[in-house]
Amino acid sequence: MEQESHLVLCVDDELVGLQVRRILLERAGYRVVTAQDGSSGLEIFSSEPVEAVILDYSMPGMHGGEVATRMRQIKPAVPILLLSAYIGLPLEVTSLVDLYMTKGEGAPLLLQKLGSLLEPVNAS
Amino acid sequence: MNLRQFNGILRQVFLLPVVALLVTAGALYWQIRGANATVDLIQDSDARITQATLISRLMVDEESGLRGYETTADTRFLQPYIDAEASLPAEFQRLSNIAGANAEEKHDLDDLRNEQQTWRDAFALQLIAQVRAGGQTSDVDLNLRGKTMMDEIRHDIADIIHDAEMQRTRRIMRWHQQVRAMLLGLLFLALGIGVLIGLFTRDRLHAVSAAYRTSLEVLSRRAEELFQSEQRLRTTLASIGDGVITCDVDGRVQMMNPVAQELTGWEQADANGRPLEEIFRIFDETTREPLETPVAKVKRLNSTIGLAQQTMLIHRNGTELNIADSAAPIRDQMGNTTGIVLVFRDITMERKTQDALIANEKLAVAGRLAATIAHEIHNPLDSVSNLLYLMRNNSSPEESKQFMDMAEQELTRVTQISRAMLGLYRESKAPVPVDLREMLQEILLLMERRFLDLGVTVSSSLPAAISVAAFPAELRQVFTNLITNAAEAAGHGGEVRVSIEWQAARADATGQKLQAGAVVKIADNGAGIPDEVLPQLFQPFFTTKGEQGTGLGLWVSRGIVSKHGGTITLASNTSASAHGTVVSVFLAKNPTVNAGGD
Repeated sequence: MEQESHLVLCVDDELVGLQVRRILLERAGYRVVTAQDGSSGLEIFSSEPVEAVILDYSMPGMHGGEVATRMRQIKPAVPILLLSAYIGLPLEVTSLVDLYMTKGEGAPLLLQKLGSLLEPVNAS
Repeated sequence: MNLRQFNGILRQVFLLPVVALLVTAGALYWQIRGANATVDLIQDSDARITQATLISRLMVDEESGLRGYETTADTRFLQPYIDAEASLPAEFQRLSNIAGANAEEKHDLDDLRNEQQTWRDAFALQLIAQVRAGGQTSDVDLNLRGKTMMDEIRHDIADIIHDAEMQRTRRIMRWHQQVRAMLLGLLFLALGIGVLIGLFTRDRLHAVSAAYRTSLEVLSRRAEELFQSEQRLRTTLASIGDGVITCDVDGRVQMMNPVAQELTGWEQADANGRPLEEIFRIFDETTREPLETPVAKVKRLNSTIGLAQQTMLIHRNGTELNIADSAAPIRDQMGNTTGIVLVFRDITMERKTQDALIANEKLAVAGRLAATIAHEIHNPLDSVSNLLYLMRNNSSPEESKQFMDMAEQELTRVTQISRAMLGLYRESKAPVPVDLREMLQEILLLMERRFLDLGVTVSSSLPAAISVAAFPAELRQVFTNLITNAAEAAGHGGEVRVSIEWQAARADATGQKLQAGAVVKIADNGAGIPDEVLPQLFQPFFTTKGEQGTGLGLWVSRGIVSKHGGTITLASNTSASAHGTVVSVFLAKNPTVNAGGD
């Protein structure tokens, strides 16, 4: 279980939301690293063997769109799930990521979508 | 022809006959004088004839006396001779003295005198001497010579008389000619002068008549022009889109155009002569107090006036209209007020549109924030929903307690945000004490995410609670608007500073006393506003944000601040080193709230 668990990076400026999400994902069997803004998220993304990213959009300094672009440049294969409180983000942002969902859709859906992103990894 | 020329003609027509009569009188006088001279000459001739006859008679007396003496030698018979001899020289002299004698007559007279002397010396004296000597007197030669001499004398006298009579006849003829010439002259003169006066008077009267005709034409043209101009004026007044009422100086209605009749519901015929306040009933929209009539106000101020805002007009049927109007005195050429003209129009639709715009802008302020507010609510809700999921799935009681605390914390955030949001809508009928610090903090909280998205840093200096009497929802709208503007102007990496300062009561530059109150300053370090744009900022529908802006924010904000008896001022700098804009809103602590706004 330990060896098979995936390493997931969560980036969000909302501290409480980030903590809760971390607990949620850890309970679901993932290993979780967190960052509170885009730049520290990118550092971890580069240095750690991150297998999936759950990315907030609205953040100070650098928004989710920019962070996703940089991540694609660094490791294009790592799936990115954009999780934002905004509904209806522009297409040029959503097209950068593998999946886009809005906050408040519920934990089961988030876990299910994250699972679907990581399935190809399991298969390989 | 003016009055001076007309008087000139009158003078000419009066003077010409006078001058003509004077000339005629002069001519008549000259003629009469000529005739009188002739009459004098005739009288001379008469005198000459009489005198010559007298001399002739004296000579006869002389000779008769001499003959009597010769016959009788009685000296008494000689007396006539002596008498005649004594008076003859004088009579001769008198005859010669009579004027008007010609040379021939004078010569004849001299001859006669000589002959008489010759007769006396050569005959009479000789004869008398002979008789006195008692000598013979029957000498034929002497007597014959005396007779011859006397015959000669008689003949000469007869000639003289004859000549004088001839002369008299000629003079009488001349007098007759003169009189005839005078009559003819007078006739021709009278005729000539009459014709002259007639022609002259006719000519002058023609001139007067022509001038009169011209005057009549001018008058009729003027009347026509006046009629046309009045007609034009009437048409203009009838076609004009505003209501126009004119009153006399006592405020009695004289004229109403169709729009005025429609807006007041009074026909011109009914309204004529009635006091204006009966036709044009106006009151204040807010207080519903009757307003001073425009007539009274114009008379009081003696100048053009715009009537108060919020004027409502009551139609004859009782319906009420918002109107905008102005009134002005009508002055005559001397500058005296002779009446009042009132111009007004129905702005009910305009007011409704304006109210709708203001309401719309209020929604727009909230609408622009809606996305960020939803975001702010979504974030804690997401956490709460996740926490609930965790609690439901295998959480220990300790963990559940921790999760519940976290959920509660998140819900408090949601409540704060929704309360701030509601504040934008809450209406109050009267001003209430508003803590500006609390209000600004709430607005900043609500807008936090927006600043984040824009990449703007916000700092605030809100040292102490400052309370002013205000309508909170409206003030919130103003500050939200101004802070949004500042954040958008500052842009990515920019800064916005929000501060409140207390301002003590003071007097401004013009000596006007200003109340104590609060100054809220919202400053950004954006590019600044160019000078040419500044004057338009507070106009409705002016926006620098293209599709993003309604152009109503500042207009409505100013309206709200004015309603609070406050002021809103804007200072901007576009220089490279110190660019940025500062908006200052002054709010008095206890303002006289101006319900209508401006």
